Amino acid sequence: MFKKALLALPVAMAVGAAAQAGEWQDPNDVLQNLLQNNPDSKYLHQSEMNIMMMPDNPALWLVEEGEDLFYAQRGPNNVSLEGCDFGKGPGELDGAYVELPRYFEDTDKVMDFEQRLVHCMKELQGFTSDDAAVGQRHGNGSDIMKLTTYIAHQSSGMAWNPPLDHPQEQAMRDAGEKLFFRRGGAMDFNCASCHGDSGKQIRASVLPQMRDGQEWTKAVSWPAHRAGHDNVRSQNHRIRGCVWQMRHAGIKHDTPVNTALISFWNDAARGEPAILPDLKR
Amino acid sequence: MFKKNAVAAGMAAFASVALAAGCAVADGSKDSAVDITAMSADELAEHLIFETDSFRDQEMQEGGSWRDRMTQDELQKACSMEGDPDGETAGRVVAMARAGYERPEGGVELGDWRKGAELANSGFGYRQGHNTDDHGQREQGGNCYNCHVFDPRVSEQGTIGPSLQNYGANRGTSEAVLNYVHEVISNPHQYFPCTEMPRFNSDRHQLLSDEQISHLMAYLLDPESPVNNQ
Repeated sequence: MFKKALLALPVAMAVGAAAQAGEWQDPNDVLQNLLQNNPDSKYLHQSEMNIMMMPDNPALWLVEEGEDLFYAQRGPNNVSLEGCDFGKGPGELDGAYVELPRYFEDTDKVMDFEQRLVHCMKELQGFTSDDAAVGQRHGNGSDIMKLTTYIAHQSSGMAWNPPLDHPQEQAMRDAGEKLFFRRGGAMDFNCASCHGDSGKQIRASVLPQMRDGQEWTKAVSWPAHRAGHDNVRSQNHRIRGCVWQMRHAGIKHDTPVNTALISFWNDAARGEPAILPDLKR
Repeated sequence: MFKKNAVAAGMAAFASVALAAGCAVADGSKDSAVDITAMSADELAEHLIFETDSFRDQEMQEGGSWRDRMTQDELQKACSMEGDPDGETAGRVVAMARAGYERPEGGVELGDWRKGAELANSGFGYRQGHNTDDHGQREQGGNCYNCHVFDPRVSEQGTIGPSLQNYGANRGTSEAVLNYVHEVISNPHQYFPCTEMPRFNSDRHQLLSDEQISHLMAYLLDPESPVNNQ
């Protein structure tokens, strides 16, 4: 799938078609367009090295490994993940990642991407939380990050478009907005303490502003190879790191606080093309 | 006063955790008794934090439970808006902050700027979760360098707050300056309502000791400090 898409891209460009929202785009092309459209964004332009490395983003290795895992018959039930419905039908991955979190009838709740992936690995493939396949959430070696990177890549260049039609989707998005601005923890921080202004730095890191969609789409474009960690990281890993630095309490994975925050994050990037996978400092 | 309250709050919170654990399911939103669409956004945000098992049950470095830490006080509630506070809110926050401030007995004194430099440039302390800071192993820092430039020769420093280069060189060390700086570090909302800066010694809790604050003040104000020689 990944290779096919790469081959298709030059063809699309050769016929002179400008990329439409909803059309797959190479993540480096998405980034280059954002950079050109925002020459004054300190956040987007902060790392010349990372911009140069983007065509050879190490996260692309995980795309290939993730593809193999997705189609492999695995787990106690010995089935592939082709039966997993990420919101657009079983096995339909094109554009699925940028339309999450969403409400799922089978669980009667709003689920973010990682929750849904874990749900499928447990329900379809028969893994349990004790299995490393779902227990290990972080790092290039984890199945979760390989699968995440492969599946997310199928939405690269497409606009963030998490649905808000179901009342639970709207409720989670609105609660996420409240959580974003909720001052709390030992040091009184909220998310806006760092993401309320453009061009500000925490030490050497230039911070993205949440209300600037073109900065924010890069900010929420995880999975991304995080150069400082030398590992591909997820949206959930970013939340965990932020909450840790903010001196709130230690957040658990697969919990609805994550889902609500991601519902708001992705809504705040609505209409802007996703960079999947991205490369960050 | 502070410690007694913290212990009492911790015990009360422990009791409520024990109660909640009896009926909570591992994934709160599977609880069919809860209709999240019937709640306001504020109510749902509180529900998600406190009733869905989203946080690890750990002891906080300042005392108390995760619930104590995540429970907002009046100042945090008042400042949970997008953008700047309106005039009424700003006035209320300043009044709250002033009411909770106590000047140290015997007045404000400057400590050792070298120790202050270490504290200002340390991001250790109070972190919880997958990697919890053990204050028994290492002294907590002030995190100041994340947001303020003091001395660009030391390291890259943040810009969320104003630059403090030559702070003391420009202001001197009169009693009025010492008192003001102590007030700002202890609870900056006395002067900057709903500022992003943490309260390092307030009626909520004491994140840095009186001695640590005196060292930070020396780093800012001592004429010998590198902050004042640029």
